Amino acid sequence: MSGSRGKVVEALVESFNKEFPAIKVEAVYSGSYAETVTKGLASVKAGKPPVLLQSYEVGTQTMLDSGAIIPVYLLNKGEVDFGDVVQPIFKYYSVGGKMYSMPFNSSTAMLYYNKDLFKEAGFNPEKPPETYDDLYSIGKKMVDTGIAKGGLSLGWPGWIFEQMHAYHDQLYANNDNGRSGKRASEVLFNKAFGVKILTEWQRWSKDRVLFYGGREYSANAPFVAGQFGMLMQSTSSLGGNIKKSNFDLGTAFLPRMSGYPKGNSVIGGGSLWLMKGHSDEVNAAAWKFLQFLFRTENAITWHKGTGYFPVNNKAFEALIEEGWFEKEPRFRTAFDQILSGKSTVAATGVLLGNFVQIRDITQTAIEEIVVNMKDPKAILDDAKAKSDQVLKDYLSMVE
Amino acid sequence: MRISRKSWSNFTSHLVMIIVVFVVLFPMVYALTVSTQTSKEYFRFPPRILPGTGSPDNYRDAWITGNLGRLLFNSSFISLTVAVGKIVLSIIAGFAFVYFDFKGKTFFFIMILITHMLPLPVRIVPTYMLMTHFGWVDTYWALTIPFFASATGTLLFRQLYMMIPTSLADASRVDGVKPMQFLWYIVVPISKTNIAALFLIEFIYIWNQYLWPLIVANAEATRVIQIGLKQLIDTDAAVDWNIVMAGTVLAMIPPLIILIVFQSSLIKGLSLAEEK
Amino acid sequence: MQTTFKSSKWLPYLLLSPSIIIVFIFFIIPGAESLYYSFFRLNITGTKKYFVGMNNFVRLFQDSEYIGSLVLSFSFTVCVVFFGLGISLAIATVANKKLKLFNVYRTLLIWPYALSPAITGIIWALMFDPSIGVITNILERVFGITFTYFNNSTHAVIFITITATWKMLGYNIIFFLAGLQGVPGEIIEAAIIDGAGKWRSFWRVIFPLLSPTTFFLLVMNTLYAFFQLFGLLHVVTEGGPGRATYLLVYKLYRDGFISMNVGYASAQSIMLLIIVSSVMLLQFKFAERRVFYGT
Repeated sequence: MSGSRGKVVEALVESFNKEFPAIKVEAVYSGSYAETVTKGLASVKAGKPPVLLQSYEVGTQTMLDSGAIIPVYLLNKGEVDFGDVVQPIFKYYSVGGKMYSMPFNSSTAMLYYNKDLFKEAGFNPEKPPETYDDLYSIGKKMVDTGIAKGGLSLGWPGWIFEQMHAYHDQLYANNDNGRSGKRASEVLFNKAFGVKILTEWQRWSKDRVLFYGGREYSANAPFVAGQFGMLMQSTSSLGGNIKKSNFDLGTAFLPRMSGYPKGNSVIGGGSLWLMKGHSDEVNAAAWKFLQFLFRTENAITWHKGTGYFPVNNKAFEALIEEGWFEKEPRFRTAFDQILSGKSTVAATGVLLGNFVQIRDITQTAIEEIVVNMKDPKAILDDAKAKSDQVLKDYLSMVE
Repeated sequence: MRISRKSWSNFTSHLVMIIVVFVVLFPMVYALTVSTQTSKEYFRFPPRILPGTGSPDNYRDAWITGNLGRLLFNSSFISLTVAVGKIVLSIIAGFAFVYFDFKGKTFFFIMILITHMLPLPVRIVPTYMLMTHFGWVDTYWALTIPFFASATGTLLFRQLYMMIPTSLADASRVDGVKPMQFLWYIVVPISKTNIAALFLIEFIYIWNQYLWPLIVANAEATRVIQIGLKQLIDTDAAVDWNIVMAGTVLAMIPPLIILIVFQSSLIKGLSLAEEK
Repeated sequence: MQTTFKSSKWLPYLLLSPSIIIVFIFFIIPGAESLYYSFFRLNITGTKKYFVGMNNFVRLFQDSEYIGSLVLSFSFTVCVVFFGLGISLAIATVANKKLKLFNVYRTLLIWPYALSPAITGIIWALMFDPSIGVITNILERVFGITFTYFNNSTHAVIFITITATWKMLGYNIIFFLAGLQGVPGEIIEAAIIDGAGKWRSFWRVIFPLLSPTTFFLLVMNTLYAFFQLFGLLHVVTEGGPGRATYLLVYKLYRDGFISMNVGYASAQSIMLLIIVSSVMLLQFKFAERRVFYGT
């Protein structure tokens, strides 16, 4: 991991190495999430797999099918109570009720907003937008009055698009998002809902309410520089955004589109996979490290340093007890959002084979729509055709 | 007072050149400037282009977060090794082509030339597979050995040796000088300028490589500086441009030094290569 | 051929063997394998392999993304070559004076040659940064243009074109200067005395003498624009926004190493081989005289 989160990882690793001098853990940065997954799998082929591999949510199905992993539940001799993992996170990373990888950096998406700009535009800074319509009118005013270059931007746009499906209880792929026991063979994002979302985003973009800020975390920079008032982004940016912004930063639930059922925002981020190809001794050491990360105090360090969820309930309770959320209510927003949502099939998270490539396809489609102003329906149909081809190729290889 | 036409035209030429040099070098100067500013100094509207007060901190931060010491060492080691390897292999190959008659000469010559048609992207997937097969991923081997052959170098030295007067070799042969002695005592010294030129070109070429190290060198032990910069710029929050620029400046110093030191040879080497 | 050492039969083979072995193992075999894999589809861990005939190539030409990338790469290359050579030639002509200070200017002008495409990309990304970049600020304040390269496809293409062109300036200038210094002073003087204007004498007398240099640079810049800009894209635009800066090499990387579509990527490699071979053939046909390639 890079940036400020990378520093927290290093600190955790260091304290582990101090506590267990017999075991040496080395954190290796191997590029973006997408690059890490493919490099990890390539190194399996090369016979030199890493012991633990951190994969982002999109890599999950690929990792499950790779035949290169050892499910973590097999290692657990009762040291860790997986029942203690925060429910939505447990659901995301388990198959048939069994934990396959160790959740570590779990996040979801939420809304960040610039309270100073809200005031300047004449809005109550304590009343963030709850609906798409509110969001649009606030953003529009910010642009029209010239106090900002835009109203809103998106981090990880492809992922936010997925979030929107889950948040409004809409399936993203068939076979219950690939969780029915059968792998997904078809994506559904070109249905009326997906088109509606992107038509909205396109309209915002035309009116300069949506300031397209690039992929992944690149929209954070202009946001903390005060160039636009709102940002839908991963909760993992909270620590960094607080540190970098010199305005009053607010956090809120993702705004909803009216007329659609309620679902939940979905878990994102990554988990740690134990790779095959090492001695029992090494595996045992790796398991020690995973327990270490799961431990209450370390989960707390991780959460405070980054904004990622503490993955176990005990850590969450401890945080409440010490009064952390009263001191730092912004760190609570994502929790409240995810615990107040409706836990439905569509909100459990999508599993797709070669999701890495499909995410890239939708990401590109979104850019074609909100940057190049192409027709949403046509672009999404095209993206669906490409994605289905990817799924077909994938299934032909694994089944 | 009359200003002669010539000195007037000289003056304009100087002026034009100064502007041109400024425009061409501005990006580098700007990188240097930002690398000395604190985040408060550069993160404001409008940007300032005067040096700031953050340099020690920026450079220390870049050095530590990016582990740049290791990365700079890796890049230097790899670039030096490949440059030297290429020079040695090209000299002996060029020597063989000019001073010996042997079966398959044309065939081998074409084979070396063909490398020009096979730049990395044309064979990238299989070459990577080969590295995994050899167990070379994340080792210096992968970053050096595949680059040792050089069509450019072989051609360059071959061209040069073809220009060495025949009498020299004749005389040596009559005196009973062995081929390898001839190579070492006569041919290599004559090649000095070309060696320097080739060294410059290859050092910079390897130092600046990106795609191959990205694929084969992930571990910190073998990561190169170019990839390290990507790591510095890849962040979850706003980019710390001052720290990134500190890293960038450190990454451009070594090749710049090599360029400045060997520049005159490069131009001489070029004019040599031009003659027939 | 000149004098040969006939004495040793094995020595030339020994001298050539290191180069030949490396060329064989790391160039010829993988090159052939690219061709081989282009007829297959492999699974993500490479353990299964199906023969698909020409299917990868057929798909390539039905893939709007590939066609887009192809068109983009060609037009981008034309721009980089045209502007790069034009600007460098102009600078070199001005810099080609036998005045003392001019040696200093020349030395300085070559500096960008030492920078990698990745570093160049980072520096220009800073200068074009929407909030703090010096160029974006000037554009906005003086010309009222909001320039956002990650948010506007046209801007993105302009951005990579400027950056790529700038990086090659040093290299091009060195070669043009070397070429100009090879033009005898008398020829220039004769042309001027002849009454031809400076401009005309340049195009009619000097430029033709420079044509080998120009042609050589044309080839080098073409290969550069096609093959060497991966670092710039990976660091700065990642091919976006949309597919605005998705050059062929970047697509190859994404398909081969992110999506791990070995067969499909290999087919793209073979297409690149065809492109590079055509450029090389042109070079051998028109400029055998030139031997210096620079990589």
